[in-house]
Amino acid sequence: MKSLKDRAELIKKIRHFFDEQGVVEVQTPKLLDAPTSDTYIDSITMQVNKDIDQKTKYLHTSPELEMKKLLAQGSGDIYQICSVFRDNEQGFQNFNEFTMLEYYRLDFDLHQLMNDVVKLLNVLGVQGQVSQLSYAQAFSKYGDIDILNTDFDALKKIASTHGLTIDFEWIEDLQILLFTHLIEPKLEVLPICFIYDYPASQSALSTVEGQVAHRFELYLSGVEVANGYDELQDAQSYEKIFKRENNKRKQLKKTFFDPDLDFVLQLKEGLPQCSGVAIGIDRLISQIRLK
Amino acid sequence: MGYYSTSQFKNGLKLILDGNPCSIISNEIRKPGKGQASNKVKLKDLITGKTLEKTFKSGESVEGADVMELDMQYLYNDGSEWSFMDPNTFDQFMINDSAMDDVRGYLVEQDMCIVTLWNDNPISVTPPNHVMLEVVDTDPGLKGDTAGTGGKPATMNTGVVVQVPLFISIGEKVKVDTRTNEYSGRT
Repeated sequence: MKSLKDRAELIKKIRHFFDEQGVVEVQTPKLLDAPTSDTYIDSITMQVNKDIDQKTKYLHTSPELEMKKLLAQGSGDIYQICSVFRDNEQGFQNFNEFTMLEYYRLDFDLHQLMNDVVKLLNVLGVQGQVSQLSYAQAFSKYGDIDILNTDFDALKKIASTHGLTIDFEWIEDLQILLFTHLIEPKLEVLPICFIYDYPASQSALSTVEGQVAHRFELYLSGVEVANGYDELQDAQSYEKIFKRENNKRKQLKKTFFDPDLDFVLQLKEGLPQCSGVAIGIDRLISQIRLK
Repeated sequence: MGYYSTSQFKNGLKLILDGNPCSIISNEIRKPGKGQASNKVKLKDLITGKTLEKTFKSGESVEGADVMELDMQYLYNDGSEWSFMDPNTFDQFMINDSAMDDVRGYLVEQDMCIVTLWNDNPISVTPPNHVMLEVVDTDPGLKGDTAGTGGKPATMNTGVVVQVPLFISIGEKVKVDTRTNEYSGRT
């Protein structure tokens, strides 16, 4: 019962944190017409209206696109706390359903957003030294690898010497595997650690500048807890990425769909300059409890 | 033998890795928020006995190993080969002396052992956790010392040397834990 109350208290504190700054709480649809196009995230598929006019719907894997529709319509700063659903996820720290806090701040760049996340963590009782390492610095410091300038074949050789599989189609997948197995364990000693400026090939929906994408991930004692972007603004960029991700799904023989063109259409005017972050609330709570 | 996908991995599953049969000890799925899931797997090489760690991409398939573990009775050894019998079928298996290095000192005739077969060939033998062995050589016992302070080395009838309490003398039968090579009593 104490854990129930602790959880309620934490959610209350999150709401208070945003209320004070004028960030508005929103609720967006969770049952969607289009699945996510993210290569390695699978939507849970539902059949609805069987007795009327059967249709396939998809549970949202993140409120990102629906919230971006609001941003494009001029909502201003917004946040949402909701359950998200992902298929084919189970294990040590992955579940089919988990609670996510997602929020967007207008005119914030990536570093302003990271500082804001630290303020939120402090309010929630997560204290400790804050480290900020670029993706390249983390690889150089903990793996002695020049990640931005090492090609696919050379990376495969490094992976082999660590007993890791090298059967990958794209360099970014091998970079991610190396990060998960060589670098992440080293982050366990850092209470609050931001990794930022990912290789451009891992940009997801963030802006790219030269070799790097303006994206960060937050690790609390080595556990991945949040993922933030300096958000892409124009509709064409989104369309291009949806198509790229769907092509990857096709090549991997995973289910694939036409990109969510409804979203692209609604984004015609583009997104205001903003940065956004998704924080896994269940993982955050378990990290607070461990302390 | 077929192939097993990482989604079928579980503890005890036998796979072929680098040509040797291995048994899964632990299997941990890692899934980054963005990026492909992977399985971090600890395995025991059933030939060398070594523990190894491998990482697979989730969805990858690995060849299974045709490994069976059978309860068999140890019959005798003729100096170069050791003979075991399956008590259900009465089939006899001969195992080469070179494969018996770690266990030879714990095999007592008529004892039930676990014999591991790979492609129907025996690759290893696991003796019972406790066996009764006879002391054939040790320093004279100290009369009255039943508390067993300290100890002394004793050579058993199978050749293995075990640390035993001071009161144990030649000709006595003692119980030995085969996993730790420790004395564990007289009955």
